Amino acid sequence: MLFTIAWRNIWRNRRRSLIIMVSVIVGVSAVMVNDGLMVGMIHQMLDNQIGSHVSHIQIHAKGFNANPVVQNVIPERQRVERALEGTAGIRDWSRRNVSFGLLSSARNSAGGRIVGVEADNETAITSIHASIIDGKYLSGKPREMLLGRRMAEKLKVGPGDKVVGMASAMSGDVGSELFRVVGIYETLSSEFDKGYVFTSLEDTRNMLELGDNVLEYAVIVENLDDIEHVTQKLRETLGAEYEVLSYADLLPLLVAQVELYGQMMYIIYVIIGLAMIFGIVNTMLMSVFERIQEFGVLMAIGMKNSYVFRMVMIEALLLALIGTGAGILLGIAMLLPLGTIGIDLSIFAESLTSFGAGAIIYPRLTINSIVSVVLIIPVTALLGALYPALKATRLQPVTAIRYV
Amino acid sequence: MEVIRLEGIHKTYSDSGVPVHALRGIDLSIAQGEFTVIAGPSGSGKTTLLNIAGALDTPTEGNVFFTGEDIGEKSRNEVASIRLEKLGFVFQAYNLIPVLTAMENIEFTMMLLGIDEKSRHERARQIMRELDIAQLADKRPNEMSGGQQQRVAVARAIVNNPSIILADEPTANLDSETGATLLDLMQQMNREHKLTFVFSSHDQHVIDRAQRLILLRDGVIEQDESL
Ligand SMILES: Nc1ncnc2c1ncn2[C@@H]1O[C@H](COP(=O)(O)OP(=O)(O)OP(=O)(O)O)[C@@H](O)[C@H]1O
Ligand SMILES: [Mg+2]
Repeated sequence: MLFTIAWRNIWRNRRRSLIIMVSVIVGVSAVMVNDGLMVGMIHQMLDNQIGSHVSHIQIHAKGFNANPVVQNVIPERQRVERALEGTAGIRDWSRRNVSFGLLSSARNSAGGRIVGVEADNETAITSIHASIIDGKYLSGKPREMLLGRRMAEKLKVGPGDKVVGMASAMSGDVGSELFRVVGIYETLSSEFDKGYVFTSLEDTRNMLELGDNVLEYAVIVENLDDIEHVTQKLRETLGAEYEVLSYADLLPLLVAQVELYGQMMYIIYVIIGLAMIFGIVNTMLMSVFERIQEFGVLMAIGMKNSYVFRMVMIEALLLALIGTGAGILLGIAMLLPLGTIGIDLSIFAESLTSFGAGAIIYPRLTINSIVSVVLIIPVTALLGALYPALKATRLQPVTAIRYV
Repeated sequence: MEVIRLEGIHKTYSDSGVPVHALRGIDLSIAQGEFTVIAGPSGSGKTTLLNIAGALDTPTEGNVFFTGEDIGEKSRNEVASIRLEKLGFVFQAYNLIPVLTAMENIEFTMMLLGIDEKSRHERARQIMRELDIAQLADKRPNEMSGGQQQRVAVARAIVNNPSIILADEPTANLDSETGATLLDLMQQMNREHKLTFVFSSHDQHVIDRAQRLILLRDGVIEQDESL
């Protein structure tokens, strides 16, 4: 019956109730869209990083990630390959050589990572082959090179032009090789495009005097949820001479960003919550003051303070629940289409592409944000109703009945 | 059997700065089954007296005993329980809960008492039949006339079989005919169920029906006679 009374009281002052509900609805759906946008952006950044180079898991000789010098070759690489073949959950893997070097064209020079890949195997690991905007992907022939758009611009070269690559070789001398540009690629991250060039594994072996050694294995797992598990398994199999790193180990900055974002979201929740508390306090106070006489009568006919208190609280809770429910529906209604259409943030595109997210963000609906609002908003409403509810219990029946 | 006893009641309102002595030494005892009218000119203290007798207000001086127990020593919640279980109120302005139907208004105190829904419905139906307001069951207060609302208010007041019903000018907002029917009803309840009624009124029609008439003037009892 208390629910019935609360429910009907809400609709007694329709306009006031609608105003507070709309503000809850707007708050909830705004939080959800904002959350979806941020999560979408972070995922895009991660996906792009993973998809253009990082892959899920990398294996090196111990210490290579901190000190990526060519002398740090993978010892007994057959052991690694046996482990990769023998571990469940791995979809694909490929061999790579990665070294920092200098690239020079006839007109300019620039530093960058020279990555030697197995042209065929690499297509199963990264999407560089699908990001060619000019020329073509590596064919496996000797001394071909792919440049990122920004690098090509810097060197002022295009497909067919020559580029000299130089890097510190095994012996300590500078190894060099003459390459011919066969293609230009562009990913969503302009920083990446400026820094990475691709050539064949064989060419880097020659240039770096590696023999048939390899510096890196890149691994893609079958199921994203298994990444940590597979990483752990490989670590156990391979032992201390190797380092097995998941993308989270390899992209500490991005992972930190995900955490930072989580904390930022709390700040947003607090701000929205505070705004809502004031709205609820105001609405419920007005509602209590309007009904002073009624509360007086209720008390006179024997309603205890605890009931009076509950009545006000239930009313606020109902307002918040209706608002939250409708807000979640609205949030879903906005996020579902936006998730496939995407939000074009071209105005900010320059900064976004250097972040590596791309100019179009596809917001994601997360259970997390729904759970958060479901937990936070009603509790906030109850907090806001606390003062008006206490105020109502402080009324004296006589003065309340007399009150006109 | 005594239901309410007031001993040496004084009430002074001082909230407006100038103290107003509304009651100045009231001694009064109400027994089970009485049909008492408190009469007196406007400002003589009728409402104040009823409020204090009904534990809605506290006296400045003196004690209120409800079936022998001193109300002044009880907590707010205990007093609320006494009002819920033993007292019925009828107000001049009816004061039904606007969002509830007649039936729900009547059921409300039973709900507070924790009576289950089925028994509540049965009891409410029974009392509505008795007061001839069954047809009002689903109407909200704003859909009823003043007389109808006051009947529902009477039903609400007597539904839990209280030891006493306090009614402050229950007919003041009704025309004389409607008021008379309402009084018939209360007299009938008094006769048939031995319900104790205490009214305040300055309406001669009400005073004529009193079995006991208490005349109040300037906060003191001027006359107290059984008729
Ligand atoms: N809350 C209050 N504050 C100050 N004075 C009050 C208050 N309530 C009543 N009084 C005063 O106390 C006196 C008695 O008032 P009360 O309402 O009990 O009289 P009454 O007999 O019920 O009058 P009426 O017939 O007009 O209803 C009056 O002088 C009134 O002005
Ligand atoms: Mg009065």
